[in-house]
Amino acid sequence: MLPVSCTRGAFAGVLFAAGISLAQPAIYKAPRTADGKPDLNGIWQALNTANWDIRGHAAAPGPLFQLGATGAIPPGLGVVEGDDIPYLPEAAAKQKENSANRLALDPEVKCYLPGVPRATYMPYPFQIVQSDKHILISYEYASAVRIVNMEAPKKAPIDSWMGWSNGHWDGETLVIDVTGLNDQTWFDRAGNFHSDALHVTERYTARSPDTLTYEALIEDPKVFSRPWKMSMILYRHLEPHAQLLEFKCVEFVEELMYGPLRKKPGK
Amino acid sequence: MTRRRFAPLLPMAAVLICAPAPATGQSDFEGIWTSASVVPLERPAHLKGKEFYTKEEAAENAKRVLGMTSWERLGSQAPEHYNMSQYGLDLSQVKVAATLRTSLIVGPDGRVPPLTPEAQKRSAERAARNRGHQFDGPENRPLQERCIIYSTEGPPMQPSAYNSNLQIVQGTGYVAIVQEMIHSTRIIPTDGRPHLPPDICQWLGDSRGHWEGHTLVVDTTNFTDKAPFRGSTASLHLVERFTRVDDDTIIYEFTADDLATWTRPWTAQVTLARIDGPLFEFACHEGNLGIANTLKGARAAEKQ
Repeated sequence: MLPVSCTRGAFAGVLFAAGISLAQPAIYKAPRTADGKPDLNGIWQALNTANWDIRGHAAAPGPLFQLGATGAIPPGLGVVEGDDIPYLPEAAAKQKENSANRLALDPEVKCYLPGVPRATYMPYPFQIVQSDKHILISYEYASAVRIVNMEAPKKAPIDSWMGWSNGHWDGETLVIDVTGLNDQTWFDRAGNFHSDALHVTERYTARSPDTLTYEALIEDPKVFSRPWKMSMILYRHLEPHAQLLEFKCVEFVEELMYGPLRKKPGK
Repeated sequence: MTRRRFAPLLPMAAVLICAPAPATGQSDFEGIWTSASVVPLERPAHLKGKEFYTKEEAAENAKRVLGMTSWERLGSQAPEHYNMSQYGLDLSQVKVAATLRTSLIVGPDGRVPPLTPEAQKRSAERAARNRGHQFDGPENRPLQERCIIYSTEGPPMQPSAYNSNLQIVQGTGYVAIVQEMIHSTRIIPTDGRPHLPPDICQWLGDSRGHWEGHTLVVDTTNFTDKAPFRGSTASLHLVERFTRVDDDTIIYEFTADDLATWTRPWTAQVTLARIDGPLFEFACHEGNLGIANTLKGARAAEKQ
Protein backbone atom coordinates (compact mmCIF):
# COMPACT_ATOMS: atom_id res chain seq x y z
CA MET A 1 0.00 0.00 0.00
CA LEU A 2 1.38 3.36 -0.96
CA PRO A 3 1.48 6.21 1.51
CA VAL A 4 -1.49 8.53 1.01
CA SER A 5 0.73 11.44 0.04
CA CYS A 6 1.88 9.50 -3.03
CA THR A 7 -1.66 9.11 -4.26
CA ARG A 8 -2.39 12.84 -4.54
CA GLY A 9 -2.12 15.09 -7.52
CA ALA A 10 -0.56 14.43 -10.86
CA PHE A 11 1.50 11.53 -9.61
CA ALA A 12 -1.67 9.49 -9.15
CA GLY A 13 -2.32 9.66 -12.88
CA VAL A 14 1.10 8.18 -13.53
CA LEU A 15 0.39 5.31 -11.19
CA PHE A 16 -2.88 4.53 -12.94
CA ALA A 17 -1.30 4.82 -16.36
CA ALA A 18 1.28 2.29 -15.26
CA GLY A 19 -1.53 -0.05 -14.36
CA ILE A 20 -0.75 -0.18 -10.67
CA SER A 21 -3.77 -1.40 -8.82
CA LEU A 22 -4.57 0.30 -5.52
CA ALA A 23 -6.92 -1.02 -2.88
CA GLN A 24 -8.24 2.50 -2.60
CA PRO A 25 -8.43 4.71 -5.68
CA ALA A 26 -5.86 7.46 -5.81
CA ILE A 27 -7.21 10.83 -4.77
CA TYR A 28 -7.91 12.88 -7.87
CA LYS A 29 -7.78 16.59 -7.27
CA ALA A 30 -10.58 18.32 -9.14
CA PRO A 31 -10.26 21.79 -10.67
CA ARG A 32 -11.20 24.50 -8.19
CA THR A 33 -13.95 27.09 -8.08
CA ALA A 34 -13.00 30.70 -7.35
CA ASP A 35 -13.19 30.00 -3.61
CA GLY A 36 -10.89 26.97 -3.82
CA LYS A 37 -13.48 24.17 -3.52
CA PRO A 38 -13.62 21.18 -5.90
CA ASP A 39 -15.61 22.28 -8.94
CA LEU A 40 -18.52 19.86 -9.47
CA ASN A 41 -20.40 22.09 -11.93
CA GLY A 42 -21.72 20.05 -14.81
CA ILE A 43 -24.44 17.83 -16.22
CA TRP A 44 -24.19 14.33 -14.78
CA GLN A 45 -25.97 11.03 -15.21
CA ALA A 46 -25.71 7.50 -13.88
CA LEU A 47 -25.21 4.79 -16.50
CA ASN A 48 -26.72 1.89 -14.63
CA THR A 49 -30.06 0.15 -14.12
CA ALA A 50 -30.47 1.00 -10.43
CA ASN A 51 -33.76 2.78 -11.11
CA TRP A 52 -35.21 -0.59 -12.16
CA ASP A 53 -33.73 -2.39 -9.16
CA ILE A 54 -30.90 -1.20 -6.93
CA ARG A 55 -29.98 -4.83 -6.29
CA GLY A 56 -28.34 -7.02 -8.90
CA HIS A 57 -30.94 -8.41 -11.29
CA ALA A 58 -31.25 -10.36 -14.52
CA ALA A 59 -33.23 -9.01 -17.46
CA ALA A 60 -36.97 -9.57 -17.08
CA PRO A 61 -40.22 -8.76 -18.87
CA GLY A 62 -41.85 -5.48 -17.89
CA PRO A 63 -45.30 -5.19 -16.32
CA LEU A 64 -47.04 -4.36 -19.64
CA PHE A 65 -46.59 -6.96 -22.38
CA GLN A 66 -47.89 -4.45 -24.95
CA LEU A 67 -44.62 -2.52 -24.69
CA GLY A 68 -42.60 -5.53 -25.83
CA ALA A 69 -38.84 -5.10 -25.62
CA THR A 70 -39.22 -1.34 -25.03
CA GLY A 71 -40.86 -2.05 -21.68
CA ALA A 72 -38.56 -4.86 -20.57
CA ILE A 73 -36.33 -4.56 -17.52
CA PRO A 74 -32.64 -4.24 -18.43
CA PRO A 75 -30.21 -6.30 -16.33
CA GLY A 76 -27.73 -4.82 -13.90
CA LEU A 77 -25.08 -5.69 -11.36
CA GLY A 78 -26.74 -3.56 -8.70
CA VAL A 79 -25.41 -0.62 -6.69
CA VAL A 80 -25.91 -1.90 -3.12
CA GLU A 81 -22.71 -2.80 -1.34
CA GLY A 82 -22.78 -6.54 -0.66
CA ASP A 83 -26.01 -6.69 -2.71
CA ASP A 84 -27.87 -7.07 0.57
CA ILE A 85 -30.55 -4.70 1.83
CA PRO A 86 -30.99 -5.46 5.55
CA TYR A 87 -34.78 -5.25 5.73
CA LEU A 88 -36.53 -5.93 9.02
CA PRO A 89 -38.83 -8.97 8.51
CA GLU A 90 -42.09 -7.01 8.04
CA ALA A 91 -40.38 -4.56 5.74
CA ALA A 92 -39.03 -7.39 3.57
CA ALA A 93 -42.61 -8.57 3.07
CA LYS A 94 -43.76 -5.07 2.21
CA GLN A 95 -41.04 -4.73 -0.42
CA LYS A 96 -42.27 -7.91 -2.13
CA GLU A 97 -45.82 -6.59 -2.06
CA ASN A 98 -44.66 -3.24 -3.49
CA SER A 99 -42.83 -5.05 -6.24
CA ALA A 100 -45.86 -7.16 -7.15
CA ASN A 101 -48.04 -4.02 -7.35
CA ARG A 102 -45.48 -1.64 -8.75
CA LEU A 103 -47.63 -0.30 -11.57
CA ALA A 104 -50.19 0.89 -9.04
CA LEU A 105 -47.81 1.89 -6.26
CA ASP A 106 -44.53 3.18 -7.71
CA PRO A 107 -44.59 6.97 -7.26
CA GLU A 108 -42.58 7.35 -10.50
CA VAL A 109 -45.56 6.01 -12.47
CA LYS A 110 -47.56 9.04 -11.29
CA CYS A 111 -44.76 11.53 -12.01
CA TYR A 112 -44.30 12.22 -8.32
CA LEU A 113 -41.08 13.79 -7.06
CA PRO A 114 -38.48 11.02 -6.74
CA GLY A 115 -36.79 11.74 -3.40
CA VAL A 116 -33.15 11.13 -2.55
CA PRO A 117 -31.13 9.16 -3.55
CA ARG A 118 -33.42 7.87 -6.35
CA ALA A 119 -33.27 11.19 -8.22
CA THR A 120 -29.54 10.62 -8.74
CA TYR A 121 -29.78 7.39 -10.71
CA MET A 122 -33.01 7.78 -12.63
CA PRO A 123 -32.42 7.53 -16.39
CA TYR A 124 -32.36 11.33 -16.77
CA PRO A 125 -29.49 13.82 -16.42
CA PHE A 126 -29.16 16.30 -13.58
CA GLN A 127 -27.12 19.46 -13.31
CA ILE A 128 -25.02 20.79 -10.46
CA VAL A 129 -24.82 24.58 -10.35
CA GLN A 130 -22.23 25.47 -7.77
CA SER A 131 -21.31 28.90 -6.52
CA ASP A 132 -19.23 29.81 -3.52
CA LYS A 133 -22.38 30.12 -1.43
CA HIS A 134 -24.87 27.60 -2.74
CA ILE A 135 -25.10 24.30 -4.53
CA LEU A 136 -28.16 23.72 -6.64
CA ILE A 137 -28.98 20.26 -7.96
CA SER A 138 -31.55 20.42 -10.73
CA TYR A 139 -32.96 17.16 -12.07
CA GLU A 140 -34.50 16.80 -15.52
CA TYR A 141 -37.16 14.40 -14.20
CA ALA A 142 -40.27 16.28 -13.04
CA SER A 143 -38.33 19.54 -12.51
CA ALA A 144 -37.17 18.14 -9.18
CA VAL A 145 -34.69 20.42 -7.42
CA ARG A 146 -32.62 20.65 -4.28
CA ILE A 147 -30.85 23.69 -2.90
CA VAL A 148 -28.06 22.50 -0.64
CA ASN A 149 -27.47 24.63 2.43
CA MET A 150 -23.67 25.05 2.67
CA GLU A 151 -23.80 27.32 5.71
CA ALA A 152 -24.29 26.15 9.30
CA PRO A 153 -26.46 23.00 9.23
CA LYS A 154 -30.14 23.67 9.82
CA LYS A 155 -32.85 21.33 10.97
CA ALA A 156 -35.32 20.34 8.26
CA PRO A 157 -38.16 22.86 8.59
CA ILE A 158 -40.74 20.33 7.40
CA ASP A 159 -40.84 16.91 5.71
CA SER A 160 -40.81 17.05 1.93
CA TRP A 161 -40.36 14.83 -1.14
CA MET A 162 -36.79 15.95 -1.86
CA GLY A 163 -35.84 16.44 1.79
CA TRP A 164 -33.67 19.02 3.44
CA SER A 165 -30.00 19.09 2.39
CA ASN A 166 -27.14 20.33 4.58
CA GLY A 167 -23.80 20.19 2.77
CA HIS A 168 -20.16 20.52 3.70
CA TRP A 169 -16.77 19.72 2.17
CA ASP A 170 -14.71 16.83 3.48
CA GLY A 171 -11.48 17.41 1.57
CA GLU A 172 -12.22 16.44 -2.01
CA THR A 173 -15.71 15.24 -1.19
CA LEU A 174 -19.02 17.10 -1.09
CA VAL A 175 -20.96 15.53 1.76
CA ILE A 176 -24.72 16.15 1.87
CA ASP A 177 -26.73 15.18 4.88
CA VAL A 178 -30.35 14.68 3.86
CA THR A 179 -33.18 14.54 6.39
CA GLY A 180 -36.82 15.64 6.43
CA LEU A 181 -37.71 13.11 3.73
CA ASN A 182 -41.31 11.90 3.66
CA ASP A 183 -42.29 8.22 3.39
CA GLN A 184 -43.87 8.53 -0.07
CA THR A 185 -40.86 7.84 -2.29
CA TRP A 186 -39.16 4.58 -3.27
CA PHE A 187 -35.58 3.68 -4.09
CA ASP A 188 -36.46 2.03 -7.40
CA ARG A 189 -39.19 0.43 -9.54
CA ALA A 190 -38.70 -2.86 -7.67
CA GLY A 191 -40.49 -1.53 -4.61
CA ASN A 192 -37.47 -0.99 -2.38
CA PHE A 193 -38.68 1.59 0.10
CA HIS A 194 -38.05 3.50 3.31
CA SER A 195 -39.96 5.31 6.04
CA ASP A 196 -40.04 8.96 7.11
CA ALA A 197 -37.14 8.17 9.44
CA LEU A 198 -34.83 7.95 6.43
CA HIS A 199 -31.48 9.68 6.79
CA VAL A 200 -29.27 9.74 3.70
CA THR A 201 -25.62 10.78 3.74
CA GLU A 202 -24.44 11.42 0.21
CA ARG A 203 -20.82 11.73 -0.85
CA TYR A 204 -19.88 13.22 -4.24
CA THR A 205 -16.20 12.88 -5.11
CA ALA A 206 -14.56 13.76 -8.43
CA ARG A 207 -12.54 10.71 -9.54
CA SER A 208 -11.44 12.08 -12.92
CA PRO A 209 -12.30 15.20 -14.96
CA ASP A 210 -15.53 13.63 -16.21
CA THR A 211 -16.60 11.12 -13.55
CA LEU A 212 -17.79 11.35 -9.96
CA THR A 213 -18.03 8.65 -7.35
CA TYR A 214 -21.44 8.79 -5.68
CA GLU A 215 -22.15 7.09 -2.40
CA ALA A 216 -25.33 7.13 -0.35
CA LEU A 217 -25.38 5.81 3.19
CA ILE A 218 -28.93 4.77 4.08
CA GLU A 219 -30.11 4.79 7.69
CA ASP A 220 -33.72 4.08 8.62
CA PRO A 221 -34.25 2.09 11.82
CA LYS A 222 -37.98 1.67 11.12
CA VAL A 223 -37.22 -0.36 7.98
CA PHE A 224 -33.62 -1.65 8.12
CA SER A 225 -31.71 -3.54 10.81
CA ARG A 226 -28.48 -1.64 10.10
CA PRO A 227 -27.16 1.17 7.91
CA TRP A 228 -26.28 0.17 4.34
CA LYS A 229 -24.68 1.85 1.40
CA MET A 230 -25.06 2.21 -2.33
CA SER A 231 -22.31 3.45 -4.59
CA MET A 232 -21.96 4.14 -8.29
CA ILE A 233 -20.19 6.28 -10.83
CA LEU A 234 -21.75 9.38 -12.37
CA TYR A 235 -20.70 10.48 -15.84
CA ARG A 236 -20.44 13.99 -17.22
CA HIS A 237 -22.41 14.86 -20.36
CA LEU A 238 -19.73 15.93 -22.83
CA GLU A 239 -21.90 16.58 -25.87
CA PRO A 240 -21.41 20.09 -27.24
CA HIS A 241 -24.12 22.36 -25.81
CA ALA A 242 -25.49 19.61 -23.55
CA GLN A 243 -28.38 20.98 -21.52
CA LEU A 244 -31.23 19.74 -19.38
CA LEU A 245 -34.50 19.73 -21.28
CA GLU A 246 -37.97 19.81 -19.77
CA PHE A 247 -39.49 16.59 -18.56
CA LYS A 248 -42.62 17.95 -16.94
CA CYS A 249 -44.39 14.60 -16.86
CA VAL A 250 -47.63 15.63 -15.14
CA GLU A 251 -49.49 15.93 -18.41
CA PHE A 252 -48.33 12.44 -19.41
CA VAL A 253 -50.05 10.87 -16.40
CA GLU A 254 -53.36 12.74 -16.48
CA GLU A 255 -55.18 10.07 -18.48
CA LEU A 256 -53.90 7.43 -16.06
CA MET A 257 -54.87 9.39 -12.96
CA TYR A 258 -57.95 11.31 -14.07
CA GLY A 259 -59.14 9.47 -17.20
CA PRO A 260 -61.98 7.68 -15.38
CA LEU A 261 -63.29 11.08 -14.21
CA ARG A 262 -63.50 12.41 -17.75
CA LYS A 263 -66.91 13.36 -19.15
CA LYS A 264 -68.36 10.44 -21.13
CA PRO A 265 -69.43 11.19 -24.71
CA GLY A 266 -73.13 11.94 -25.05
CA LYS A 267 -73.63 12.91 -21.40
CA MET B 1 -38.40 31.65 7.43
CA THR B 2 -38.78 35.26 8.36
CA ARG B 3 -40.50 36.25 5.15
CA ARG B 4 -43.01 38.25 7.11
CA ARG B 5 -41.03 41.41 7.08
CA PHE B 6 -42.48 44.82 6.79
CA ALA B 7 -40.26 46.75 4.48
CA PRO B 8 -40.35 50.49 4.80
CA LEU B 9 -41.65 51.67 1.47
CA LEU B 10 -39.01 54.19 0.71
CA PRO B 11 -39.12 55.37 -2.86
CA MET B 12 -36.01 54.15 -4.57
CA ALA B 13 -33.64 56.48 -6.32
CA ALA B 14 -33.61 55.72 -10.01
CA VAL B 15 -29.82 55.99 -10.11
CA LEU B 16 -28.17 52.67 -10.95
CA ILE B 17 -25.10 51.87 -8.90
CA CYS B 18 -22.59 49.18 -9.69
CA ALA B 19 -23.41 45.93 -7.95
CA PRO B 20 -20.57 44.11 -6.20
CA ALA B 21 -18.99 41.71 -8.66
CA PRO B 22 -17.78 38.22 -7.74
CA ALA B 23 -14.43 36.91 -8.98
CA THR B 24 -15.94 36.14 -12.38
CA GLY B 25 -16.46 39.85 -12.98
CA GLN B 26 -20.18 39.30 -13.33
CA SER B 27 -22.83 40.89 -11.17
CA ASP B 28 -23.92 38.82 -8.21
CA PHE B 29 -27.63 38.01 -8.27
CA GLU B 30 -27.38 35.17 -5.77
CA GLY B 31 -30.02 35.07 -3.11
CA ILE B 32 -33.71 34.69 -2.51
CA TRP B 33 -35.93 37.35 -4.00
CA THR B 34 -39.58 38.30 -4.18
CA SER B 35 -41.36 39.95 -7.07
CA ALA B 36 -44.30 40.94 -4.86
CA SER B 37 -45.62 44.30 -5.98
CA VAL B 38 -48.18 46.91 -4.99
CA VAL B 39 -48.39 48.01 -8.62
CA PRO B 40 -50.57 46.33 -11.28
CA LEU B 41 -49.19 45.18 -14.63
CA GLU B 42 -51.40 47.63 -16.52
CA ARG B 43 -51.90 51.24 -15.52
CA PRO B 44 -55.33 52.02 -14.07
CA ALA B 45 -57.46 54.29 -16.28
CA HIS B 46 -57.46 57.16 -13.79
CA LEU B 47 -53.64 57.34 -13.99
CA LYS B 48 -53.57 57.59 -17.77
CA GLY B 49 -50.48 59.47 -18.92
CA LYS B 50 -48.86 59.38 -15.46
CA GLU B 51 -46.02 56.85 -15.39
CA PHE B 52 -44.61 57.71 -11.94
CA TYR B 53 -46.06 58.60 -8.58
CA THR B 54 -44.53 61.25 -6.38
CA LYS B 55 -42.98 59.83 -3.20
CA GLU B 56 -46.08 60.78 -1.24
CA GLU B 57 -48.45 59.25 -3.78
CA ALA B 58 -46.39 56.03 -3.91
CA ALA B 59 -46.54 55.73 -0.11
CA GLU B 60 -50.28 56.33 -0.17
CA ASN B 61 -50.79 53.69 -2.90
CA ALA B 62 -48.65 51.17 -1.01
CA LYS B 63 -50.65 51.77 2.17
CA ARG B 64 -53.92 51.27 0.31
CA VAL B 65 -52.82 48.08 -1.48
CA LEU B 66 -51.18 46.52 1.57
CA GLY B 67 -54.46 47.02 3.43
CA MET B 68 -56.28 44.75 0.97
CA THR B 69 -56.47 40.97 1.05
CA SER B 70 -55.09 39.12 -1.96
CA TRP B 71 -58.60 38.42 -3.11
CA GLU B 72 -59.68 42.02 -2.79
CA ARG B 73 -56.64 42.95 -4.84
CA LEU B 74 -57.54 40.42 -7.51
CA GLY B 75 -61.19 41.39 -7.43
CA SER B 76 -62.21 37.77 -6.93
CA GLN B 77 -64.14 35.90 -4.31
CA ALA B 78 -62.11 34.46 -1.44
CA PRO B 79 -62.13 30.67 -1.50
CA GLU B 80 -63.01 29.42 1.95
CA HIS B 81 -60.17 26.92 2.19
CA TYR B 82 -57.45 29.57 2.17
CA ASN B 83 -56.69 31.53 5.29
CA MET B 84 -54.48 34.16 3.70
CA SER B 85 -53.48 35.89 6.89
CA GLN B 86 -52.60 32.69 8.74
CA TYR B 87 -50.20 31.54 6.04
CA GLY B 88 -48.62 34.89 5.36
CA LEU B 89 -50.15 35.15 1.92
CA ASP B 90 -51.42 38.71 2.10
CA LEU B 91 -49.10 41.35 0.73
CA SER B 92 -49.01 43.14 4.07
CA GLN B 93 -47.11 40.14 5.47
CA VAL B 94 -44.34 39.98 2.89
CA LYS B 95 -41.57 42.28 1.83
CA VAL B 96 -42.49 44.48 -1.12
CA ALA B 97 -39.95 46.52 -3.03
CA ALA B 98 -40.54 50.22 -3.19
CA THR B 99 -41.22 51.80 -6.56
CA LEU B 100 -42.54 55.02 -7.98
CA ARG B 101 -44.06 53.25 -10.98
CA THR B 102 -47.83 53.40 -11.47
CA SER B 103 -47.84 50.23 -13.59
CA LEU B 104 -45.29 47.51 -14.28
CA ILE B 105 -45.62 48.23 -17.99
CA VAL B 106 -43.33 51.09 -18.88
CA GLY B 107 -43.98 53.99 -21.24
CA PRO B 108 -46.64 56.65 -21.54
CA ASP B 109 -49.47 54.19 -22.22
CA GLY B 110 -48.75 51.61 -19.51
CA ARG B 111 -51.03 49.04 -21.12
CA VAL B 112 -50.54 45.80 -23.07
CA PRO B 113 -50.77 46.85 -26.73
CA PRO B 114 -53.92 45.90 -28.65
CA LEU B 115 -54.16 42.32 -29.92
CA THR B 116 -53.75 41.92 -33.65
CA PRO B 117 -56.94 40.84 -35.52
CA GLU B 118 -55.35 37.39 -35.88
CA ALA B 119 -54.79 37.17 -32.12
CA GLN B 120 -58.33 38.33 -31.36
CA LYS B 121 -59.67 35.57 -33.61
CA ARG B 122 -57.42 32.99 -31.97
CA SER B 123 -58.45 34.07 -28.51
CA ALA B 124 -62.17 34.00 -29.41
CA GLU B 125 -61.81 30.54 -30.94
CA ARG B 126 -60.02 29.24 -27.86
CA ALA B 127 -62.74 30.60 -25.59
CA ALA B 128 -65.46 29.15 -27.84
CA ARG B 129 -63.82 25.72 -27.83
CA ASN B 130 -63.74 25.57 -24.05
CA ARG B 131 -67.18 27.13 -23.45
CA GLY B 132 -69.42 24.54 -21.86
CA HIS B 133 -66.50 22.10 -21.64
CA GLN B 134 -64.60 23.61 -18.71
CA PHE B 135 -65.08 20.47 -16.61
CA ASP B 136 -64.89 17.75 -19.29
CA GLY B 137 -61.37 16.53 -18.51
CA PRO B 138 -58.05 17.60 -17.02
CA GLU B 139 -56.91 19.29 -20.25
CA ASN B 140 -59.84 21.70 -19.97
CA ARG B 141 -58.57 23.01 -16.65
CA PRO B 142 -56.01 25.81 -16.28
CA LEU B 143 -52.33 24.77 -16.39
CA GLN B 144 -51.71 25.82 -12.80
CA GLU B 145 -54.67 23.83 -11.53
CA ARG B 146 -53.13 20.83 -13.32
CA CYS B 147 -49.79 21.58 -11.60
CA ILE B 148 -47.94 21.88 -14.92
CA ILE B 149 -46.78 25.49 -14.78
CA TYR B 150 -47.96 28.48 -12.77
CA SER B 151 -49.29 31.39 -14.79
CA THR B 152 -46.89 33.94 -13.31
CA GLU B 153 -43.72 31.84 -12.99
CA GLY B 154 -42.66 32.86 -16.45
CA PRO B 155 -40.62 33.62 -18.28
CA PRO B 156 -41.61 36.41 -18.12
CA MET B 157 -41.68 36.35 -14.33
CA GLN B 158 -44.51 38.37 -12.86
CA PRO B 159 -45.73 39.08 -9.35
CA SER B 160 -48.21 36.46 -8.25
CA ALA B 161 -51.18 36.88 -5.93
CA TYR B 162 -48.98 35.28 -3.27
CA ASN B 163 -45.72 33.33 -2.92
CA SER B 164 -43.79 35.38 -5.49
CA ASN B 165 -40.52 33.84 -4.32
CA LEU B 166 -37.50 32.81 -6.35
CA GLN B 167 -33.86 31.94 -5.77
CA ILE B 168 -30.91 32.64 -8.05
CA VAL B 169 -27.72 30.55 -8.03
CA GLN B 170 -24.76 31.37 -10.34
CA GLY B 171 -22.35 28.63 -11.35
CA THR B 172 -19.59 28.68 -13.93
CA GLY B 173 -21.24 29.60 -17.23
CA TYR B 174 -24.78 29.38 -15.89
CA VAL B 175 -27.38 31.38 -14.00
CA ALA B 176 -30.14 29.27 -12.44
CA ILE B 177 -33.51 30.64 -11.37
CA VAL B 178 -35.63 28.48 -9.08
CA GLN B 179 -39.29 29.42 -8.80
CA GLU B 180 -40.91 28.27 -5.58
CA MET B 181 -44.41 28.12 -7.05
CA ILE B 182 -45.20 25.53 -8.43
CA HIS B 183 -41.54 24.56 -8.65
CA SER B 184 -39.40 24.93 -11.72
CA THR B 185 -35.77 25.66 -12.41
CA ARG B 186 -34.58 27.62 -15.40
CA ILE B 187 -30.88 27.10 -16.05
CA ILE B 188 -29.59 29.82 -18.35
CA PRO B 189 -26.27 29.20 -20.15
CA THR B 190 -24.18 32.35 -20.56
CA ASP B 191 -21.53 30.83 -22.84
CA GLY B 192 -22.86 32.18 -26.12
CA ARG B 193 -24.30 28.91 -27.40
CA PRO B 194 -27.15 29.01 -29.94
CA HIS B 195 -30.81 28.35 -29.06
CA LEU B 196 -32.29 24.86 -29.31
CA PRO B 197 -33.51 23.81 -32.76
CA PRO B 198 -37.00 25.17 -33.44
CA ASP B 199 -38.69 21.77 -33.17
CA ILE B 200 -37.89 21.51 -29.45
CA CYS B 201 -40.55 23.58 -27.68
CA GLN B 202 -40.77 23.87 -23.93
CA TRP B 203 -43.22 25.26 -21.37
CA LEU B 204 -40.54 27.68 -20.13
CA GLY B 205 -38.99 28.17 -23.56
CA ASP B 206 -35.23 28.07 -24.06
CA SER B 207 -33.14 30.79 -22.44
CA ARG B 208 -29.68 32.10 -23.35
CA GLY B 209 -27.91 34.77 -21.35
CA HIS B 210 -25.13 37.25 -21.90
CA TRP B 211 -23.66 40.15 -19.97
CA GLU B 212 -23.94 43.77 -20.99
CA GLY B 213 -21.77 45.45 -18.39
CA HIS B 214 -23.35 44.60 -15.06
CA THR B 215 -26.67 43.64 -16.62
CA LEU B 216 -27.61 40.04 -17.36
CA VAL B 217 -29.59 39.90 -20.60
CA VAL B 218 -31.61 36.74 -21.24
CA ASP B 219 -33.08 35.89 -24.63
CA THR B 220 -35.86 33.28 -24.65
CA THR B 221 -37.48 31.52 -27.61
CA ASN B 222 -38.77 27.96 -28.31
CA PHE B 223 -42.01 28.46 -26.40
CA THR B 224 -44.85 26.00 -26.74
CA ASP B 225 -48.22 27.12 -28.10
CA LYS B 226 -49.88 25.32 -25.20
CA ALA B 227 -49.11 28.03 -22.67
CA PRO B 228 -50.04 31.37 -24.20
CA PHE B 229 -48.75 34.40 -22.28
CA ARG B 230 -51.60 36.90 -22.54
CA GLY B 231 -52.61 35.34 -25.85
CA SER B 232 -49.13 34.87 -27.32
CA THR B 233 -48.08 32.14 -29.74
CA ALA B 234 -45.09 29.82 -29.86
CA SER B 235 -43.26 32.56 -31.76
CA LEU B 236 -43.07 34.72 -28.63
CA HIS B 237 -39.62 36.25 -28.27
CA LEU B 238 -38.74 37.45 -24.83
CA VAL B 239 -35.79 39.56 -23.68
CA GLU B 240 -35.21 39.95 -19.95
CA ARG B 241 -32.73 42.28 -18.27
CA PHE B 242 -31.54 41.83 -14.68
CA THR B 243 -29.69 44.72 -13.02
CA ARG B 244 -28.62 44.88 -9.39
CA VAL B 245 -29.17 48.41 -8.13
CA ASP B 246 -28.22 47.89 -4.48
CA ASP B 247 -27.54 45.02 -2.08
CA ASP B 248 -31.18 44.12 -1.75
CA THR B 249 -32.73 45.12 -5.06
CA ILE B 250 -32.76 43.85 -8.64
CA ILE B 251 -34.52 45.71 -11.42
CA TYR B 252 -36.00 43.01 -13.66
CA GLU B 253 -37.29 44.17 -17.02
CA PHE B 254 -38.84 42.12 -19.77
CA THR B 255 -39.79 42.92 -23.35
CA ALA B 256 -42.33 40.67 -25.02
CA ASP B 257 -42.44 40.57 -28.80
CA ASP B 258 -44.84 38.48 -30.86
CA LEU B 259 -46.07 40.07 -34.09
CA ALA B 260 -48.74 37.37 -34.35
CA THR B 261 -50.21 38.65 -31.08
CA TRP B 262 -49.47 42.32 -30.37
CA THR B 263 -49.27 45.30 -32.64
CA ARG B 264 -45.91 46.22 -31.08
CA PRO B 265 -43.40 44.88 -28.52
CA TRP B 266 -44.02 45.96 -24.92
CA THR B 267 -41.90 46.23 -21.82
CA ALA B 268 -42.57 45.86 -18.11
CA GLN B 269 -40.34 46.41 -15.12
CA VAL B 270 -40.57 44.53 -11.83
CA THR B 271 -38.51 45.38 -8.76
CA LEU B 272 -37.20 42.29 -6.96
CA ALA B 273 -36.51 42.61 -3.24
CA ARG B 274 -34.18 40.35 -1.29
CA ILE B 275 -35.91 38.20 1.33
CA ASP B 276 -34.80 35.65 3.88
CA GLY B 277 -35.15 32.01 3.00
CA PRO B 278 -35.43 29.26 2.59
CA LEU B 279 -37.59 28.47 -0.41
CA PHE B 280 -39.94 25.64 0.41
CA GLU B 281 -40.70 22.65 -1.76
CA PHE B 282 -43.92 23.15 -3.71
CA ALA B 283 -44.95 19.59 -4.52
CA CYS B 284 -48.10 20.64 -6.36
CA HIS B 285 -49.06 17.57 -8.37
CA GLU B 286 -48.34 15.15 -5.52
CA GLY B 287 -51.09 16.69 -3.40
CA ASN B 288 -53.44 17.67 -6.19
CA LEU B 289 -56.81 16.50 -4.88
CA GLY B 290 -58.38 19.59 -6.42
CA ILE B 291 -58.34 18.46 -10.02
CA ALA B 292 -59.82 15.03 -9.23
CA ASN B 293 -62.47 16.56 -6.98
CA THR B 294 -63.38 19.19 -9.56
CA LEU B 295 -63.97 16.50 -12.20
CA LYS B 296 -65.81 14.25 -9.72
CA GLY B 297 -68.04 17.16 -8.79
CA ALA B 298 -68.84 17.83 -12.45
CA ARG B 299 -69.71 14.14 -13.06
CA ALA B 300 -71.92 14.10 -9.95
CA ALA B 301 -73.67 17.28 -11.10
CA GLU B 302 -74.39 15.70 -14.51
CA LYS B 303 -76.28 12.87 -12.84
CA GLN B 304 -78.62 15.23 -11.01
